[in-house]
Amino acid sequence: MGLRSFFDRIEPNFVHGGKYEKYFPIYEMVESFLFTPKTVTTVAPHARSYIDMKRIMTYVVIATIPCILFGLYNVGLQSNMAIQEFGPSGWRAGLIGALGIGFNPNNPLANMLHGLTYFLPIYIVTLVAGGIWEVVFATVRRHEVNEGFLVTSMLYTLILPASTPLWQVALGISFGVVIGKEVFGGTGKNFLNPALVGRAFLYFAYPAYMSGDTIWTPVDGFSGATALAVTASEGVGQLGAYGITWWDAFIGTIQGCIGETSTLACLIGLGFLLFTKIANYRMVVGCLAGMIGFSLLLNLVGSDTNPAFATPWYWHLVMGGYAFGLVFMVTEPVSGSHTNVGRYIYGALIGFMVVMIRVVNPAFPEGMMLAILFGNVFAPLIDYFVVQANIRRRARRV
Amino acid sequence: MAQTYRDMLVDPMVDNNPITLQVLGICSALAVTSSLKVALVMAIAVTLVTAFSSMFISALRSQIPSSIRIIVQMIIIASLVIVVDQALKAYAYEISKTLSVFVGLIITNCIVMGRAEAFAMKNPPIDSFIDGIGNGLGYGLILMMVGFIRELFGSGSLFGITIMPTVNNGGWYVPNGLLLLPPSAFFVIGLLIWGFRTWKPAQVEEREYRIQTVEAH
Amino acid sequence: MSDQDNPEEPQDQSQGLIRRFLDTPPDNVGKTVTVALGLCLVASMVVSAAAVSLRPLQERNAALDKQVNIVEVAGLYEPGMDVATAFESFEPHVLELATGEFTDQFDAYEFDDRAAASDVTLSAPLDDDPAGIGRQADYVTVYVLRDDAGALDKVILPVYGYGLWSTLYGFIALEEDGNTIYGLQFYEHAETPGLGAEVDNPRWKALWRGKKLRDDEGDLEINVGKSVTAAGPEYHVDALSGATLTSRGVDNLVRFWMSEQGFEPFLERVREGEI
Repeated sequence: MGLRSFFDRIEPNFVHGGKYEKYFPIYEMVESFLFTPKTVTTVAPHARSYIDMKRIMTYVVIATIPCILFGLYNVGLQSNMAIQEFGPSGWRAGLIGALGIGFNPNNPLANMLHGLTYFLPIYIVTLVAGGIWEVVFATVRRHEVNEGFLVTSMLYTLILPASTPLWQVALGISFGVVIGKEVFGGTGKNFLNPALVGRAFLYFAYPAYMSGDTIWTPVDGFSGATALAVTASEGVGQLGAYGITWWDAFIGTIQGCIGETSTLACLIGLGFLLFTKIANYRMVVGCLAGMIGFSLLLNLVGSDTNPAFATPWYWHLVMGGYAFGLVFMVTEPVSGSHTNVGRYIYGALIGFMVVMIRVVNPAFPEGMMLAILFGNVFAPLIDYFVVQANIRRRARRV
Repeated sequence: MAQTYRDMLVDPMVDNNPITLQVLGICSALAVTSSLKVALVMAIAVTLVTAFSSMFISALRSQIPSSIRIIVQMIIIASLVIVVDQALKAYAYEISKTLSVFVGLIITNCIVMGRAEAFAMKNPPIDSFIDGIGNGLGYGLILMMVGFIRELFGSGSLFGITIMPTVNNGGWYVPNGLLLLPPSAFFVIGLLIWGFRTWKPAQVEEREYRIQTVEAH
Repeated sequence: MSDQDNPEEPQDQSQGLIRRFLDTPPDNVGKTVTVALGLCLVASMVVSAAAVSLRPLQERNAALDKQVNIVEVAGLYEPGMDVATAFESFEPHVLELATGEFTDQFDAYEFDDRAAASDVTLSAPLDDDPAGIGRQADYVTVYVLRDDAGALDKVILPVYGYGLWSTLYGFIALEEDGNTIYGLQFYEHAETPGLGAEVDNPRWKALWRGKKLRDDEGDLEINVGKSVTAAGPEYHVDALSGATLTSRGVDNLVRFWMSEQGFEPFLERVREGEI
């Protein structure tokens, strides 16, 4: 085709010895994004698989689609509901108004479009800022720009509050890509999830923009506690008083980060990832078991002073970022454990830590982000012990 | 004398920096660098203690029984640190409150002990004194660089003087709260080490292992 | 001290005791002990000389540090002023909390509030403890500021309580009516920088000026929170943004110390003009 022959024509400029040799990574990035890579391993050993890096990454992006779509709808829904009370503010509302779309929260299309005005700027800034770092490092290190960044940028966008200032979005993804990934050698060598590193950076650097009651719905003047904040301070029984039911939280029509609110959308994504075997079911099982087991234990123990002890496991499942983290972060293969037994332990550790942070730590109502990063740090250690135990067991058999 | 005094002063700044090359004294560098003023006082305190303890230990070196030499070094260092701590409490009370235990912890600062054991025990007093000053300054240089970054972007000020007025005080700058927390010094020092080693590739350590590469063509 | 690079050199026997000592190889047991003892003696003399000679300065600093806070919360502080002189216009009194009466049992200049709060004979454990302080002292030091005519101008009361990570220690200054807040200032805490630590922010501290503790019925209405309570804005201070738990801690500790468990018996006397 025309495009293919264009690439073939310009390729000699970029390969070794060509005029623009230095910019090969950029050429390769654009080319492999458009076409299937034509290079294959030429020396033994060969391992054939229908799955390659690119396909894994593409599948993960596909799996986030339900979350994206629901996120768009919900951001618009929450904003439009708040606008009914506080009136429109900001350029986004101006744009929606100018296009004549209106702020009717009962109109799904209007909600989606309103949500898009928040999602798109954040996503574009993420791609540009993170992309610049990817290209810089790829150029300096002479390797190809990896599709992994597409996943990182999408996940990062979905775990931000819609009200995040765009300069913070850029700063966070820069930190995530550089400190979370590139300093360790790039994709495949990162022991932490880069999207979460960027998010954690923002959480600690600009806490006033990442937590509290006013930031979740991006409308001036609006203030409302999230489901997690209510359970942490008043107990799960009080959620009804704030008009939050379990089904709301499960479907996702509650306040929260752009793509995190809907447990249902996350579960659809999980189904896809498990069916295509991108996600390892052991981590999911471990993480669920850890969360359910520890929250049941806390329910039993009880506490007079801390109402969060009484939060049942099915609420932990649907609140905050648990479901999203479970589906897209815990199952991330690079930063998790690599042994099968280790995967159960790794998942369980995260499940346990989420509940621990949510319930026991007074400062952080949400714990999924920190729990996963904690799990990431422990994953190599878990693998080490699993391998050692295996060696000992086999040695005894001799 | 293999090194001139000038070398002994300048060498620990970049080429043989106690923090970025030897990675010593990190603990205090994390704790005292959230503002420049405190970092400066800490740098001066460490420089003085290193210089004088090296000088005294060097002067006594032929008389120090090797069986108790570490204890002797510790006593000399600890006495100096206590004197510095007392002086700070008397003349710079505000800063000594912020530095709190970290002045006392200079005793365990590896740089002081390291210079005493590695240099002062083998060299004459004047050389040891200058070596101590040089290493103290090398430590101080990094402390000041980290303090500069942390205070400027964490509080929008330098030495307490507002450079970028923060939002909470009616200005425009949104301060980066992470930089006020001790772990941020890890990131800053890590990036500094990265920068130093890119500038001076000789400082890059030999890898402990090698990933085998298979020729693909 | 002499520099002895080569102790193994053959020595002249006629030299004195010091020479002989210096020439003894360092690993000789007797010498090891002597060096250790001698060094300890010198080191302890240096250290104690420094400690003793600097003690008066240090004590003045510690006292000044507290005085600065008291002068500042009363709104009299200017940078570069002589704090010790300004502090002379404050009368310290040791107050018995339960009765609200001053006591002469202790010297108000020497009384140590912190020590008293953990002294079993001078304090009692709290059952109802919203400020999270565990034990409350029976006696505390308060400061009274009078105008030139000798009439009551302000009272400065010590308050403390638990925030998110730490106990916040501070002073609250009240106007002569015993009900209007003039200022609130914390001098020691370890809250999150940028969030809870914003209790030190002058803009937030300025919110306290002119707020009222109790309404006309005498109910304690002062509060720190996100939204104005039914009592009205003159009893409300906005919470610190992003620092819910530190704000709640400040709310608890102010309400605790201004209640009957705290300074209310004393404040009643202030309101009636008995001070």
